[in-house]
Amino acid sequence: MSALIAKAEAGHPAEGFGERIAENQRRVFQIALSVLGNAADAEDVAQEAFLRAYQRFDSLREPEKFRAWVNRIVFRLALNRKRGYCRRLARDTAWQSAETATMVDGAKSAEQQVMLGRLRLEIEQLPEKLRSVLLLSLVEEMDATDVGAVLGIPAGTVRSRLHTARKRLLEVMR
Amino acid sequence: MKDGCQKWKDQLLEAALTGARSKDLELHLLNCKGCAAELRELEAVRARQDSLLPLLVRGAQPSPGFRARVLAAAETNKEHKRAPRWRVWALVGAVATAATVFVLQRAMLRNEEAKDLAAAQKLAEWRAPSDSLLKTPGEEILKTTPKLGESYLPVPVSKVEEE
Repeated sequence: MSALIAKAEAGHPAEGFGERIAENQRRVFQIALSVLGNAADAEDVAQEAFLRAYQRFDSLREPEKFRAWVNRIVFRLALNRKRGYCRRLARDTAWQSAETATMVDGAKSAEQQVMLGRLRLEIEQLPEKLRSVLLLSLVEEMDATDVGAVLGIPAGTVRSRLHTARKRLLEVMR
Repeated sequence: MKDGCQKWKDQLLEAALTGARSKDLELHLLNCKGCAAELRELEAVRARQDSLLPLLVRGAQPSPGFRARVLAAAETNKEHKRAPRWRVWALVGAVATAATVFVLQRAMLRNEEAKDLAAAQKLAEWRAPSDSLLKTPGEEILKTTPKLGESYLPVPVSKVEEE
Protein backbone atom coordinates (compact mmCIF):
# COMPACT_ATOMS: atom_id res chain seq x y z
CA MET A 1 0.00 0.00 0.00
CA SER A 2 2.74 2.46 0.99
CA ALA A 3 4.52 1.58 -2.22
CA LEU A 4 1.39 2.45 -4.15
CA ILE A 5 1.14 5.78 -2.35
CA ALA A 6 4.80 6.51 -3.07
CA LYS A 7 4.21 5.64 -6.71
CA ALA A 8 1.18 7.90 -6.87
CA GLU A 9 3.16 10.74 -5.27
CA ALA A 10 5.97 10.19 -7.74
CA GLY A 11 3.47 10.76 -10.51
CA HIS A 12 2.12 13.89 -8.81
CA PRO A 13 5.03 15.38 -6.84
CA ALA A 14 2.93 18.31 -5.63
CA GLU A 15 0.93 16.08 -3.28
CA GLY A 16 3.89 14.97 -1.18
CA PHE A 17 5.38 18.41 -1.48
CA GLY A 18 2.36 20.09 0.06
CA GLU A 19 2.75 17.86 3.07
CA ARG A 20 6.41 18.83 3.43
CA ILE A 21 5.51 22.52 3.28
CA ALA A 22 2.95 22.05 6.04
CA GLU A 23 5.52 20.30 8.24
CA ASN A 24 8.30 22.82 7.70
CA GLN A 25 6.78 26.21 6.88
CA ARG A 26 6.72 27.59 10.41
CA ARG A 27 10.34 26.77 11.16
CA VAL A 28 11.56 27.83 7.70
CA PHE A 29 9.76 31.15 8.05
CA GLN A 30 11.24 31.68 11.52
CA ILE A 31 14.78 31.01 10.27
CA ALA A 32 14.32 33.64 7.55
CA LEU A 33 12.73 36.02 10.04
CA SER A 34 15.58 35.58 12.52
CA VAL A 35 18.07 36.72 9.88
CA LEU A 36 16.02 39.39 8.08
CA GLY A 37 13.96 40.82 10.91
CA ASN A 38 10.83 41.54 8.87
CA ALA A 39 7.93 39.31 7.95
CA ALA A 40 7.47 40.33 4.31
CA ASP A 41 11.05 39.54 3.30
CA ALA A 42 11.05 36.40 5.46
CA GLU A 43 7.98 35.05 3.71
CA ASP A 44 9.46 35.84 0.32
CA VAL A 45 12.67 34.01 1.15
CA ALA A 46 10.80 31.07 2.68
CA GLN A 47 8.78 30.72 -0.53
CA GLU A 48 11.95 30.82 -2.62
CA ALA A 49 13.50 28.10 -0.44
CA PHE A 50 10.47 25.85 -0.92
CA LEU A 51 10.48 26.44 -4.67
CA ARG A 52 14.11 25.39 -4.82
CA ALA A 53 13.27 22.33 -2.76
CA TYR A 54 10.49 21.55 -5.23
CA GLN A 55 12.98 21.46 -8.09
CA ARG A 56 14.99 18.84 -6.19
CA PHE A 57 12.05 17.10 -4.64
CA ASP A 58 12.88 13.75 -6.20
CA SER A 59 16.03 13.55 -4.07
CA LEU A 60 14.42 15.13 -0.99
CA ARG A 61 11.46 12.83 -0.43
CA GLU A 62 12.67 11.67 3.00
CA PRO A 63 11.28 14.08 5.63
CA GLU A 64 14.57 14.36 7.55
CA LYS A 65 16.55 15.03 4.42
CA PHE A 66 14.01 17.63 3.31
CA ARG A 67 14.06 19.31 6.71
CA ALA A 68 17.86 19.58 6.88
CA TRP A 69 18.13 20.75 3.27
CA VAL A 70 15.43 23.40 3.49
CA ASN A 71 16.84 24.70 6.81
CA ARG A 72 20.22 25.26 5.20
CA ILE A 73 18.91 26.76 1.98
CA VAL A 74 16.56 29.24 3.67
CA PHE A 75 19.35 30.42 5.96
CA ARG A 76 21.69 30.99 2.98
CA LEU A 77 18.99 32.74 0.96
CA ALA A 78 18.13 34.98 3.89
CA LEU A 79 21.79 35.88 4.43
CA ASN A 80 22.18 36.69 0.73
CA ARG A 81 19.12 38.89 0.75
CA LYS A 82 20.27 40.63 3.90
CA ARG A 83 23.66 41.39 2.36
CA GLY A 84 21.94 42.68 -0.75
CA TYR A 85 19.69 45.03 1.16
CA CYS A 86 22.15 45.85 3.90
CA ARG A 87 22.21 49.56 3.15
CA ARG A 88 18.44 49.79 2.98
CA LEU A 89 18.04 47.82 6.19
CA ALA A 90 20.47 50.09 8.00
CA ARG A 91 18.51 53.14 6.84
CA ASP A 92 15.20 51.65 7.90
CA THR A 93 16.33 50.24 11.22
CA ALA A 94 13.68 52.06 13.21
CA TRP A 95 10.88 50.85 10.96
CA GLN A 96 12.31 47.35 10.86
CA SER A 97 12.60 46.93 14.60
CA ALA A 98 9.17 48.41 15.18
CA GLU A 99 7.66 46.03 12.64
CA THR A 100 9.36 43.03 14.22
CA ALA A 101 7.90 43.86 17.57
CA THR A 102 4.36 44.40 16.38
CA MET A 103 4.46 41.50 13.98
CA VAL A 104 5.20 38.91 16.67
CA ASP A 105 2.46 40.04 19.00
CA GLY A 106 0.40 43.13 18.40
CA ALA A 107 -0.73 43.27 22.04
CA LYS A 108 2.73 43.90 23.48
CA SER A 109 3.29 46.94 25.64
CA ALA A 110 5.16 49.93 24.30
CA GLU A 111 7.98 49.33 26.75
CA GLN A 112 8.36 45.77 25.59
CA GLN A 113 8.46 46.93 21.98
CA VAL A 114 11.21 49.40 22.79
CA MET A 115 13.14 46.67 24.59
CA LEU A 116 12.70 44.29 21.67
CA GLY A 117 13.93 46.96 19.28
CA ARG A 118 16.99 47.58 21.40
CA LEU A 119 17.61 43.87 21.77
CA ARG A 120 17.59 43.38 18.02
CA LEU A 121 19.93 46.32 17.53
CA GLU A 122 22.36 44.87 20.06
CA ILE A 123 22.16 41.46 18.39
CA GLU A 124 22.97 43.12 15.07
CA GLN A 125 26.16 44.48 16.64
CA LEU A 126 27.38 40.99 17.57
CA PRO A 127 29.99 39.31 15.35
CA GLU A 128 28.33 37.25 12.61
CA LYS A 129 29.41 33.89 14.07
CA LEU A 130 27.77 34.66 17.41
CA ARG A 131 24.75 36.37 15.89
CA SER A 132 23.91 33.45 13.59
CA VAL A 133 24.06 30.95 16.44
CA LEU A 134 21.98 33.13 18.74
CA LEU A 135 19.26 33.83 16.16
CA LEU A 136 18.99 30.25 14.93
CA SER A 137 18.79 29.01 18.52
CA LEU A 138 15.70 31.17 18.99
CA VAL A 139 13.82 29.31 16.26
CA GLU A 140 11.30 26.73 17.44
CA GLU A 141 12.25 23.08 17.03
CA MET A 142 15.90 23.97 16.50
CA ASP A 143 18.32 22.38 18.98
CA ALA A 144 22.11 22.75 18.99
CA THR A 145 22.48 19.87 16.53
CA ASP A 146 20.06 21.45 14.04
CA VAL A 147 21.75 24.83 14.35
CA GLY A 148 25.13 23.16 13.88
CA ALA A 149 23.85 21.37 10.77
CA VAL A 150 22.76 24.68 9.24
CA LEU A 151 26.03 26.42 10.04
CA GLY A 152 28.29 23.43 9.44
CA ILE A 153 29.71 23.38 12.97
CA PRO A 154 29.54 20.82 15.83
CA ALA A 155 26.80 21.08 18.44
CA GLY A 156 29.44 21.78 21.13
CA THR A 157 30.65 24.83 19.22
CA VAL A 158 27.04 26.01 18.92
CA ARG A 159 26.60 25.85 22.70
CA SER A 160 29.91 27.61 23.34
CA ARG A 161 29.12 30.41 20.86
CA LEU A 162 25.61 30.76 22.27
CA HIS A 163 27.03 31.24 25.76
CA THR A 164 29.50 33.87 24.50
CA ALA A 165 26.74 35.65 22.61
CA ARG A 166 24.50 35.77 25.68
CA LYS A 167 27.37 37.02 27.81
CA ARG A 168 28.13 39.86 25.40
CA LEU A 169 24.47 40.75 25.17
CA LEU A 170 24.22 40.86 28.94
CA GLU A 171 27.28 43.06 29.18
CA VAL A 172 26.05 45.65 26.68
CA MET A 173 22.46 45.77 27.93
CA ARG A 174 23.01 45.98 31.68
CA MET B 1 31.17 48.75 40.91
CA LYS B 2 34.46 49.98 42.31
CA ASP B 3 37.57 50.25 40.15
CA GLY B 4 39.24 47.61 42.26
CA CYS B 5 36.39 45.20 41.52
CA GLN B 6 36.96 45.16 37.73
CA LYS B 7 38.64 41.75 38.04
CA TRP B 8 35.29 40.31 39.20
CA LYS B 9 33.44 41.56 36.14
CA ASP B 10 33.72 38.35 34.13
CA GLN B 11 32.81 36.16 37.07
CA LEU B 12 29.77 38.32 37.76
CA LEU B 13 28.59 37.92 34.16
CA GLU B 14 29.11 34.15 34.35
CA ALA B 15 27.27 34.00 37.67
CA ALA B 16 24.35 35.99 36.25
CA LEU B 17 24.15 33.74 33.19
CA THR B 18 24.66 30.32 34.71
CA GLY B 19 23.88 30.89 38.38
CA ALA B 20 27.16 29.21 39.34
CA ARG B 21 29.35 31.15 41.80
CA SER B 22 32.86 30.30 42.89
CA LYS B 23 33.71 30.39 46.60
CA ASP B 24 35.97 33.37 46.03
CA LEU B 25 33.13 35.29 44.42
CA GLU B 26 30.72 34.33 47.22
CA LEU B 27 33.20 35.65 49.75
CA HIS B 28 33.72 38.85 47.78
CA LEU B 29 29.98 39.43 47.45
CA LEU B 30 29.59 39.21 51.21
CA ASN B 31 32.08 42.04 51.67
CA CYS B 32 31.29 44.18 48.58
CA LYS B 33 27.88 45.76 48.38
CA GLY B 34 28.68 47.28 44.97
CA CYS B 35 29.38 43.91 43.35
CA ALA B 36 26.36 42.31 45.05
CA ALA B 37 24.17 45.08 43.58
CA GLU B 38 25.85 44.65 40.20
CA LEU B 39 25.09 40.92 40.25
CA ARG B 40 21.45 41.56 41.14
CA GLU B 41 21.18 44.00 38.24
CA LEU B 42 22.82 41.56 35.83
CA GLU B 43 20.47 38.80 36.93
CA ALA B 44 17.49 41.08 36.34
CA VAL B 45 18.73 41.97 32.84
CA ARG B 46 19.29 38.29 32.06
CA ALA B 47 15.78 37.41 33.19
CA ARG B 48 14.38 40.22 31.00
CA GLN B 49 16.42 38.98 28.03
CA ASP B 50 15.24 35.42 28.66
CA SER B 51 11.66 36.57 28.31
CA LEU B 52 12.27 38.93 25.37
CA LEU B 53 14.58 36.91 23.16
CA PRO B 54 12.05 34.23 22.22
CA LEU B 55 9.61 36.95 21.20
CA LEU B 56 11.89 37.99 18.35
CA VAL B 57 11.12 34.83 16.43
CA ARG B 58 9.06 32.30 18.34
CA GLY B 59 5.38 32.21 17.66
CA ALA B 60 5.89 33.88 14.32
CA GLN B 61 4.45 32.10 11.32
CA PRO B 62 3.85 32.85 7.67
CA SER B 63 0.63 34.53 6.65
CA PRO B 64 -2.44 32.34 5.97
CA GLY B 65 -2.43 30.76 2.53
CA PHE B 66 1.35 30.54 2.39
CA ARG B 67 1.32 26.85 1.51
CA ALA B 68 -1.23 27.35 -1.26
CA ARG B 69 0.81 30.22 -2.69
CA VAL B 70 4.01 28.14 -2.72
CA LEU B 71 2.22 25.24 -4.41
CA ALA B 72 0.72 27.57 -7.02
CA ALA B 73 4.13 29.14 -7.67
CA ALA B 74 5.69 25.68 -7.98
CA GLU B 75 3.05 24.64 -10.52
CA THR B 76 3.54 27.85 -12.50
CA ASN B 77 7.31 27.30 -12.56
CA LYS B 78 6.77 23.74 -13.73
CA GLU B 79 4.51 24.91 -16.58
CA HIS B 80 7.07 27.50 -17.60
CA LYS B 81 9.76 24.84 -17.63
CA ARG B 82 7.72 22.44 -19.72
CA ALA B 83 7.32 24.70 -22.71
CA PRO B 84 5.41 23.11 -25.65
CA ARG B 85 7.56 21.45 -28.33
CA TRP B 86 6.43 23.81 -31.05
CA ARG B 87 7.76 26.68 -28.97
CA VAL B 88 11.12 24.98 -28.67
CA TRP B 89 11.24 24.31 -32.42
CA ALA B 90 10.14 27.87 -33.17
CA LEU B 91 12.95 29.11 -30.96
CA VAL B 92 15.45 26.84 -32.70
CA GLY B 93 14.20 28.05 -36.11
CA ALA B 94 14.43 31.67 -35.09
CA VAL B 95 17.98 31.20 -33.81
CA ALA B 96 19.01 29.37 -37.02
CA THR B 97 17.48 32.11 -39.19
CA ALA B 98 19.19 34.80 -37.21
CA ALA B 99 22.52 32.95 -37.52
CA THR B 100 22.09 32.55 -41.31
CA VAL B 101 21.21 36.21 -41.77
CA PHE B 102 24.21 37.16 -39.69
CA VAL B 103 26.60 34.97 -41.73
CA LEU B 104 25.20 36.27 -45.04
CA GLN B 105 25.48 39.84 -43.89
CA ARG B 106 29.07 39.27 -42.86
CA ALA B 107 29.88 37.72 -46.26
CA MET B 108 28.25 40.63 -48.10
CA LEU B 109 30.07 43.09 -45.93
CA ARG B 110 33.39 41.39 -46.71
CA ASN B 111 32.63 41.47 -50.43
CA GLU B 112 31.86 45.18 -50.21
CA GLU B 113 35.07 45.77 -48.34
CA ALA B 114 37.11 43.91 -50.98
CA LYS B 115 35.48 46.01 -53.71
CA ASP B 116 36.19 49.21 -51.84
CA LEU B 117 39.80 48.19 -51.34
CA ALA B 118 40.31 47.46 -55.04
CA ALA B 119 38.77 50.81 -55.96
CA ALA B 120 40.97 52.59 -53.47
CA GLN B 121 44.07 50.88 -54.85
CA LYS B 122 43.08 51.83 -58.39
CA LEU B 123 42.55 55.39 -57.29
CA ALA B 124 45.95 55.49 -55.64
CA GLU B 125 47.64 54.31 -58.81
CA TRP B 126 45.71 56.68 -61.09
CA ARG B 127 47.58 59.53 -62.70
CA ALA B 128 45.92 62.45 -64.36
CA PRO B 129 46.64 62.80 -68.13
CA SER B 130 47.83 66.35 -67.54
CA ASP B 131 50.73 64.97 -65.48
CA SER B 132 52.65 64.01 -68.65
CA LEU B 133 51.86 67.33 -70.28
CA LEU B 134 53.18 69.19 -67.30
CA LYS B 135 56.55 67.52 -67.67
CA THR B 136 59.12 70.09 -68.82
CA PRO B 137 62.13 69.39 -71.05
CA GLY B 138 64.24 70.80 -68.25
CA GLU B 139 63.54 67.71 -66.14
CA GLU B 140 65.42 65.44 -68.52
CA ILE B 141 68.26 67.87 -68.77
CA LEU B 142 68.56 68.17 -65.03
CA LYS B 143 68.85 64.40 -64.73
CA THR B 144 72.23 64.37 -66.41
CA THR B 145 75.07 66.21 -64.89
CA PRO B 146 77.02 68.24 -67.43
CA LYS B 147 80.70 67.51 -67.62
CA LEU B 148 83.22 70.16 -66.83
CA GLY B 149 83.19 72.82 -69.45
CA GLU B 150 79.94 71.60 -70.93
CA SER B 151 76.82 73.50 -70.96
CA TYR B 152 73.46 72.26 -69.86
CA LEU B 153 72.28 72.98 -73.31
CA PRO B 154 74.19 71.27 -76.10
CA VAL B 155 75.14 74.00 -78.47
CA PRO B 156 75.59 72.73 -82.03
CA VAL B 157 78.89 73.82 -83.42
CA SER B 158 78.81 74.65 -87.07
CA LYS B 159 81.51 73.16 -89.25
CA VAL B 160 82.04 76.50 -91.00
CA GLU B 161 83.09 78.15 -87.82
CA GLU B 162 85.61 75.39 -87.12
CA GLU B 163 87.20 75.82 -90.46
